[in-house]
Amino acid sequence: MPRTSFAYRTWDLPDSAATPEAYYLRRREFLRVFGLGLAAFALLPPGIRAESTALNDPLYQSYKLDGVKLTPEDLVTSYNNFYEWGLAKDEPKDQANRGWKTRPWSIEIGGLCANPRKIDVDELIQLLGQIERRNYRHRCVEAWSMVIPWDGFPLAKLVDLARPKSEAKYVKFSSFFDPANCPEQRSHDFPWPYTEGLTLPEAMNELAFIAVGLYGRPLRNQNGAPLRLVVPWKYGFKSAKSLAKIEFVAEQPKTLWNQLAPNEYGFYANVNPNVDHPRWSQNSERVIGAGFFSGKQPTLMFNGYEKQVAHLYTGMDLRKNF
Amino acid sequence: MNCFVKVLANKLFALAILVGVGIWLLVIPALIGGLGANPVEKLLHQSGEIAIWTLGAVLAFSPLRVLFPRSRVVGAVNRHRRVVGVSACVYGLLHFGFHVLYEGGLYGLARSLSKPFIWFGVAGLLTLVALALTSNNWSIRALGGKNWKLLHRLAYLAAALLIYHQSIAGKGHWHTARWLLFPLLVLQAARLAKMLLTKSARSSRTMSGFGAIATPP
Repeated sequence: MPRTSFAYRTWDLPDSAATPEAYYLRRREFLRVFGLGLAAFALLPPGIRAESTALNDPLYQSYKLDGVKLTPEDLVTSYNNFYEWGLAKDEPKDQANRGWKTRPWSIEIGGLCANPRKIDVDELIQLLGQIERRNYRHRCVEAWSMVIPWDGFPLAKLVDLARPKSEAKYVKFSSFFDPANCPEQRSHDFPWPYTEGLTLPEAMNELAFIAVGLYGRPLRNQNGAPLRLVVPWKYGFKSAKSLAKIEFVAEQPKTLWNQLAPNEYGFYANVNPNVDHPRWSQNSERVIGAGFFSGKQPTLMFNGYEKQVAHLYTGMDLRKNF
Repeated sequence: MNCFVKVLANKLFALAILVGVGIWLLVIPALIGGLGANPVEKLLHQSGEIAIWTLGAVLAFSPLRVLFPRSRVVGAVNRHRRVVGVSACVYGLLHFGFHVLYEGGLYGLARSLSKPFIWFGVAGLLTLVALALTSNNWSIRALGGKNWKLLHRLAYLAAALLIYHQSIAGKGHWHTARWLLFPLLVLQAARLAKMLLTKSARSSRTMSGFGAIATPP
């Protein structure tokens, strides 16, 4: 069991399943085989590229989502918003894999904390130990949804490692900023780098997660390699990808979408079927992979995670703090 | 060149291009499974794009004719104003159909109708439908050329509504609209400037009007 400042729920997990080193080493192996030499990488047809060995990370039963169908892997890796790599949802899988390197990758943990550091992402993963798998619902603010098996670790572990000072009230997440290799970041349409934020209690919530893998394989570039935030009770845009910096701050950080359209994208951005987006209803969602005539399914309060997170917002006007 | 203009002026050729765009971007991807993870959304967006660019094309025709009265290419293209305009409307209706499908039926459609974003699309589309319905020769005769022309100036209103609808459609997509809006504005400004210059030149030579330029369709 990882040492953290808050009590974990009882996990229904056999001890034999937890092998962080194996994950770490096998990912290295994956990188050696597929990551080294981009030419070789590019020559492989996509089908073969995806055929690395699954890592068999332990799946916590609490996050199994019984009776919910996982979104097929090829849809998760070919349909998403990642504006740094194109505005259309099928662009990132192409644009983010034209030579953009997500290893080696260093991440800075800083701001109001006792233990700031700049650390290589693989060292960080090793340091935090135990990679686990969680099946999470993913609800995009554009009213579509997926169910994704993430591999990673609770954000709380990382927060504990940094040891935030008492003045720290928020956590600010910044994605990479590399205009030399990312053409989209040379345009001035968006205030790059991508930034997002959580309150400290939100960041410490058991659901807040840092993903380093998906479907038992290291994160693909288009999904936010090498590591990304996953906050499943909030709209997808809160889950910043390809993190370069995590800072503890005293004031509510300015975030990219909130700066661009404050009337459409609030700081909290909790999934809420009762508060519409100004341009469309949030009361239902289209399930990716469900089929052409499937219609929509009802959206759940806090994306179905009311039990775990509702207490964070007691007494708060969710219509005002959308 | 002669041959090229002949082909360009051919009605069947124009129709083939207009239908072909739909086959290329909607039908073929649907048949070969090329619509991606969210097929209805893809069709919704593709049909909307075709509609707005087709409308943009037809709105460029008149200014181009004023600006390049002697160009045979522009002349040939201008023969197709009606079919291009009606196509914009047809693709718009298709877009509306995909919207209903995307929203999961009539209940979803009703919900979506509470959003100003949708109002702009619907108002623009209704305008296009009115214009398409009165695009036949009978309507021109019934209304009289002058009235008909006045009525069909509503195409600019439709364009304004629909370009706005498109520009606010996505999160952060407002900047894609500029590729359509600015060229059209520049063309219109150039057309107006040329008309005014011609008018003043003619009136200084005590010749009347500029009817020869603003030919009825």
